[in-house]
Amino acid sequence: MATTEELCEAFADWRARSNGNPRLSKMVKGWDRVIHFTTTDTDQGFTMRVQDQLLSALVVGYEDQPDVIVTGTSEDLCDMFWGDLNPSEKYMSGEIALAGAQQDVMRIDAISMVAFLDQ
Amino acid sequence: MGQRTVITTSTGLAFAALEYLAAAGLVTYVAGDSAWIPILVAGLLALLAYGFFGELNSMYPTAAAIRLYMQRAMDDRIALTITFTYMTTIVLVIASDAFIVGTALAHAFNQPAWVASLWIVGLLAVAVSCNLRGITVAGLLQDVATSVVVLATLVIAALALAHSGHALRTPWQPLHGHSPADLVEAIALGVFLYSAFEWVTTSAEEVRRPEAIQRGMLVAIGILCVVCGLATVAMSHTLDHHELTSAYPQLYLGVAAIGHAGLWVMAGVTAVTALNTFNGGFITASRFIYGTAREGALPPQLARLNSRAVPWVPVVALGVVSSVVALIVALTHGWQVLVAVGAALEAMVYGVAAFCAIRLRSRQPDTPRPFRVRLLRVLGPFAMVLFGALAVIASVSVNNHFNPAPLAIIAVGAALSAFYVVRVLPGVRTKEAARRAATPRRRPPRSEAT
Repeated sequence: MATTEELCEAFADWRARSNGNPRLSKMVKGWDRVIHFTTTDTDQGFTMRVQDQLLSALVVGYEDQPDVIVTGTSEDLCDMFWGDLNPSEKYMSGEIALAGAQQDVMRIDAISMVAFLDQ
Repeated sequence: MGQRTVITTSTGLAFAALEYLAAAGLVTYVAGDSAWIPILVAGLLALLAYGFFGELNSMYPTAAAIRLYMQRAMDDRIALTITFTYMTTIVLVIASDAFIVGTALAHAFNQPAWVASLWIVGLLAVAVSCNLRGITVAGLLQDVATSVVVLATLVIAALALAHSGHALRTPWQPLHGHSPADLVEAIALGVFLYSAFEWVTTSAEEVRRPEAIQRGMLVAIGILCVVCGLATVAMSHTLDHHELTSAYPQLYLGVAAIGHAGLWVMAGVTAVTALNTFNGGFITASRFIYGTAREGALPPQLARLNSRAVPWVPVVALGVVSSVVALIVALTHGWQVLVAVGAALEAMVYGVAAFCAIRLRSRQPDTPRPFRVRLLRVLGPFAMVLFGALAVIASVSVNNHFNPAPLAIIAVGAALSAFYVVRVLPGVRTKEAARRAATPRRRPPRSEAT
């Protein structure tokens, strides 16, 4: 199980790489959303915002009404943020679940792809 | 996504323009006015499929459900081969809708037949362009579009019957002048009228309440049964053989109902059906291809996103392949072959869904199933045999004549899928594994204390 600190550290790395990626910046233009992350093993909740083409810092706990909810184990979410895990593979195997509109899900996937492939 | 949108999505995905041609084609197998009987029987069979898809979707309420339950119920290579073959149904439906709408518009505008090809290419180009720009049909527009199609078809069919001026001739005698085998073939075709109602399960992540998917599919089957039944009876009652076997029987039905204005009403309705098909078909197929490529089961080029987060390679590929298929159909006038291919593939997938539901009951007995099929031990094997038989029958019959063309098309599609899965995929996976092995882990190792 990953601790809150580990998750926040992993997210900080993901955020830095995502915000520094001009292609991704263009991809999230006009896409201001609230995303909740839920860990299934540690029952923790986190909130991330995408605003003005930038990912916010990760907030511990749920804030506001989410547009997308990402659910997975703390280990999987941590590995996803570090880019060590193919999120699609986990999604296709049902280990990471997403709830939200299809277009929003695609954008979340695009952000996670940046971390995984380091593009 | 609320309950109403789930219902309209499920109905709209099934109610493609091809529906009119399939309904008219079905009339050739039974005594005209009793065409509603095979549609009702097919509706009852669709209820069986609804049960299996409902249970499987309740276990895996995700867009990737088909991959998940097939992967867990059978060997992954077989699951992938079946899935890829099934995906060809989407291409066929997109292509046939482009052909039907193009042909109907060319007829409505009194243009020569070759102009239909321009309409086909133009319609698909617009669909591809909209998809690449990330434009999708919003829930409310989907509700309106499907309601317009369903209501207009119902009203036109009822008016056509009312204006015919004579009573139904053989409403209770499907075998009048036909053999029982014809009736079975009509039922196989009837199954196709409901096909794609289950695609709404890919929207499982978008619904507010998970059970909305199951309810939506159930209501959609009811709507399809009533609309298709009435439209088919009206067609058989008012149209002659030439009109029934044309590429636009719905336009003749419109004329029979309210005169020349009916032609324009039904041309408009046909165009609206394409809105649903292109929207649903392109999104479902392209996102599935994208997801499979991201999973590592298709070449990574298919997972490339454009600046609007749209997987552009699958969208363009679908547009090109659909255009080619639609133009071939326009040249060969072989739309009834497409109907037969679609009917056979759909029956096959319903049988596969029954198999998966049975197999997962024994392999994953503890997985929560908010929706369960009753009497699965009896209904499951029954459905597998029945849908298997209907798939075979549909694949060797076109326009009430023996014709192995649909079977040949399916066999080629399945062979190509199997070749890819057995011979090409291992290489794709090895390459991806090598890439991952060469990429060092970024996550720092845990200290001893933790």
